[in-house]
Amino acid sequence: MRPAIRASRRTLLRAAAVGATALAAGCSGGSRSVQVAVVWSTSELDRFREVVAGYPAPVQVVSAGNDIDAFLRARHLAGTSPDVAILPRPGLVTEYAQRGWLSPVRPSTGYAVPAGLSELLTAEGQRYGVWVKAAHKSLVWHLPSMLPVPPANWDELVRRTRELGALARRDGGPAPLAIGAADGWVLTDWFENVLADVAPESYNALARADADWQGSAVREALDRLAGLWSIDGAFVGGGRRALLTQYEESVIQVVHTRRAVMLVGADFTADVADPFQRGPQAPVTFRFPGASSGGGPLIVGGDAAVAFADARGGVELVEWLTRADSFQPWLRSGGYLSPNTNVTIDSYRDRVAQRLAEEMRTPGTLRFDLSDQLPGPFTGSDGVGIWRIMQGFFADVTDGVRAGEAIRRATGLLAAAARNAGGGR
Amino acid sequence: MSEVRVLGELAVLDDVGPARRGRAYPAAGATSALLLPAAVLLGGLVLWPVLRTMHASVTTDGRWVGAAHFRTALAAPGTGAVVGRTVLWALLVPAVVTALGYLLAAASRRSQEGGLVRLILLVPVALPLVVTGVTFRLMYDPDPSRGLATLVATRLTGRSVEDAPQLLGPGMVTVALMSAFVWAWVGLAVLVFRSALDAVPPSLADAVRAYGGGRRHVLWDAQWRPLLLRTTAVVFALVAVGTSRTFDLILVMTPGSVRDEASVLALRIWQTSGGTTTGDGAALGVVWLVAVIGGIMVAALFVRQAWPPPRVEAAPEPAPVAPPRRVFRLLAAGAAVAWLVPLAVLVATSAHGRVDAAARGWWSAPPNAESYHDLVTGTELWRTLGFTLVLATAVTATVLVVALLAAYPLAWLTGPAAQATGLLLLAASVVPIQVIAGPVNEVLGLVLSSGTAQGLALVHIALGVPFAVLVLRNAFADLPVEQVRDARLGGRRWWHTLRRLARHNLSAVVAVSVLEFVQVWNDLVVGRLFSASGASPLGPFLAEQTRSFVSNSGALAASSVLASVLPVVLVVLSRRHLVAGLVSGGVR
Repeated sequence: MRPAIRASRRTLLRAAAVGATALAAGCSGGSRSVQVAVVWSTSELDRFREVVAGYPAPVQVVSAGNDIDAFLRARHLAGTSPDVAILPRPGLVTEYAQRGWLSPVRPSTGYAVPAGLSELLTAEGQRYGVWVKAAHKSLVWHLPSMLPVPPANWDELVRRTRELGALARRDGGPAPLAIGAADGWVLTDWFENVLADVAPESYNALARADADWQGSAVREALDRLAGLWSIDGAFVGGGRRALLTQYEESVIQVVHTRRAVMLVGADFTADVADPFQRGPQAPVTFRFPGASSGGGPLIVGGDAAVAFADARGGVELVEWLTRADSFQPWLRSGGYLSPNTNVTIDSYRDRVAQRLAEEMRTPGTLRFDLSDQLPGPFTGSDGVGIWRIMQGFFADVTDGVRAGEAIRRATGLLAAAARNAGGGR
Repeated sequence: MSEVRVLGELAVLDDVGPARRGRAYPAAGATSALLLPAAVLLGGLVLWPVLRTMHASVTTDGRWVGAAHFRTALAAPGTGAVVGRTVLWALLVPAVVTALGYLLAAASRRSQEGGLVRLILLVPVALPLVVTGVTFRLMYDPDPSRGLATLVATRLTGRSVEDAPQLLGPGMVTVALMSAFVWAWVGLAVLVFRSALDAVPPSLADAVRAYGGGRRHVLWDAQWRPLLLRTTAVVFALVAVGTSRTFDLILVMTPGSVRDEASVLALRIWQTSGGTTTGDGAALGVVWLVAVIGGIMVAALFVRQAWPPPRVEAAPEPAPVAPPRRVFRLLAAGAAVAWLVPLAVLVATSAHGRVDAAARGWWSAPPNAESYHDLVTGTELWRTLGFTLVLATAVTATVLVVALLAAYPLAWLTGPAAQATGLLLLAASVVPIQVIAGPVNEVLGLVLSSGTAQGLALVHIALGVPFAVLVLRNAFADLPVEQVRDARLGGRRWWHTLRRLARHNLSAVVAVSVLEFVQVWNDLVVGRLFSASGASPLGPFLAEQTRSFVSNSGALAASSVLASVLPVVLVVLSRRHLVAGLVSGGVR
């Protein structure tokens, strides 16, 4: 390569880079700041920037979008890994740790999370990540005027769905359920809730390498789902239409167009619903019903912070993020659920958030999102892994395929996918 | 990749025939060094990654495994359907585009409204494919109270609203995608056919008639055999290669649950290997690469002619010929209206706020500027537009410089060397980036620019260079002997000569610049694979928003409109230069 030519190309590229950085307002600081890559965008990103504004040193927040894994791989190859990253799946934390990309971290003394969560972020006895944000995934949303008395248990939910479904078919009333089946994670959340209720003792085993996806626990959970999903008129526009409905649209069907009564969704549903609310009536929640009244399963998801090996200031920032008061700005503006049980309940803005935070502290019932723990492509994305398999199952049972046959197909595919991803029997 | 780049491959295809005689250019000397930047870029970011991908397809962690990856990849459930669908795309869509392109080119010739019709058909060509996807997803929305096409289909089939035909459902999704693709590409075919039809000497038709030939004979002997056969083959081949880039459309238009039913090889490779290129993904990639390059080579050899073609003396101003029959003119007008509908749907949706656009059809709520207002008062869209503008400008300038330097010595080549260079450059310009993403990232890692704006720009430059070199080389080689001699006598140094020659080739330079700029501006895949931290280019920015399509449709439509203004204006303004610059070898 001739130096002159190389220089000219470099210059051009540098010009491009300089222009780009100049445009990326607020991204450059004078002294070297700690760089954090996050999955969040738009309003969540703004909230997080408010949070780190309280950190004593300058922090640069980079939004890597949904495919943060590819982003971090590329940065690692280039030797330009950020100092800290916030990862959406615990599987990524252990994977990076095993590759030696991460540095062990220590939480602050004021950090405590519900039992079973910390273990997901350890590898070879070392802690490589801390939880910084939690999601409560065992909620059913509805408008109080559309459903005055929520069903207390699963059988009641099935009964109400039958009644409302029959009404909807006869008089064109609202359908009992809205479901964003075009997004695979909506269906896996349903499945996880039912599984945690049907077979709480087998739930965690399914995340391990020797998981039995054709065993009775999975079959029973799918059978219970099939019983509800196959009800005539259960979903707005029927099963085929539901498979083309994205999650946000299903929220709109409940809070705005009111074509459906209930919706299973996580705590962040409130943020989605907010701009579409019609009149003063805000949607409210009840817990995803279990077989017996009261309690019910509790599935949580979460985002974890990690520090990269030979990062400067990374471990310190991670430690700071685990302090009980660090996330106060986000707590005050709402839409944030802390995994830290030492955050006082009073810090939450409204009653709903306070109740959810309290539920997360009930000992013993909590399970972490199963699909987020699955290995490789099995974890699911559009058209891939457990997302695709659950969509196939949904299509089968809403299309009149017998439950037994649909379950046989789904468990076969699940077992095969687990095998291909390096786990399962 | 954008579809527009292939506009030039028409000219490119012409350039692989027997040697030109009597070159006015001197023998290559020290100027071969000018090839260096292009050679380094292509070698490092195209050729080496291709070899690495081939290597990865037959090894696991460096161990030789023979054809094992190919067997696994091809035996994976659904691969047969995916391959079949890819082939269907490569055969059916080009046939439709070619037929429609010829019909509309013939129907819009020599009539007053023809220019307007062609202008309307040209607009979709310039749109980012992501925007085309957004537009058609709005039309095909499964809810008849929002999706215009679904509403019309419901009325036509007489079904109830609850039982509306689902154009994005598993049964119809490929047809829906194909319709969007045809909409985007027909304008290009019309452009090419029109210049081909204009090049047919009218005297030929007179001669056929003089021998008693009818309308059918005129069509066959005076149009089809001398020129249209080749043009048809070229257009067909170009569109067929273009269908390998349907990736953007699938990503934007299909909900997650039907993605499998729409999947083609491009998507399957993406799902199998993502940003890395290993094992099964690499094997599928090699299959795809061989098919694409093989296809373009067959087309190139099949349609080759003298390099460059014998110069046709400028035809005298054609005598006025009667405009086409009324039924054809109506056909052209009807097509123009039909092509306007999706654009109108996009603009109408953009004129609604978030709630209105999500909850009901654009026809049932009064328009307002809420979505635009939110966008232009925010910072995100401006930052994205600014970044994309800087990126596209820097890439275009660099590509132009590198390609001009390389084209100058290459234009001197004759005989087999010229043909071989042509074929190599042609092959390099159709390599799908998904296939070589992993190795490219490794190379970028070596120069410490993976995951940065510089890295993104480098990949764009490397992908743009082969095509730019081809076009400029043809333009240089095509210059009349006298101009070359003047330039060489007048220029004291090689760069003076180069500058003088470039000035004579203004159309080619403009064409290369516009196409490269529009290509980078409209890109999704490269931006997605080599995303830079901090700022996102336009394509990934729009595609990211489609993840919650309905609740976002107002803002999405508005940003799509704003994103399309610049490429459409550029292509429309420079369309004469585009045709002149790119088709120079064939028609001028």
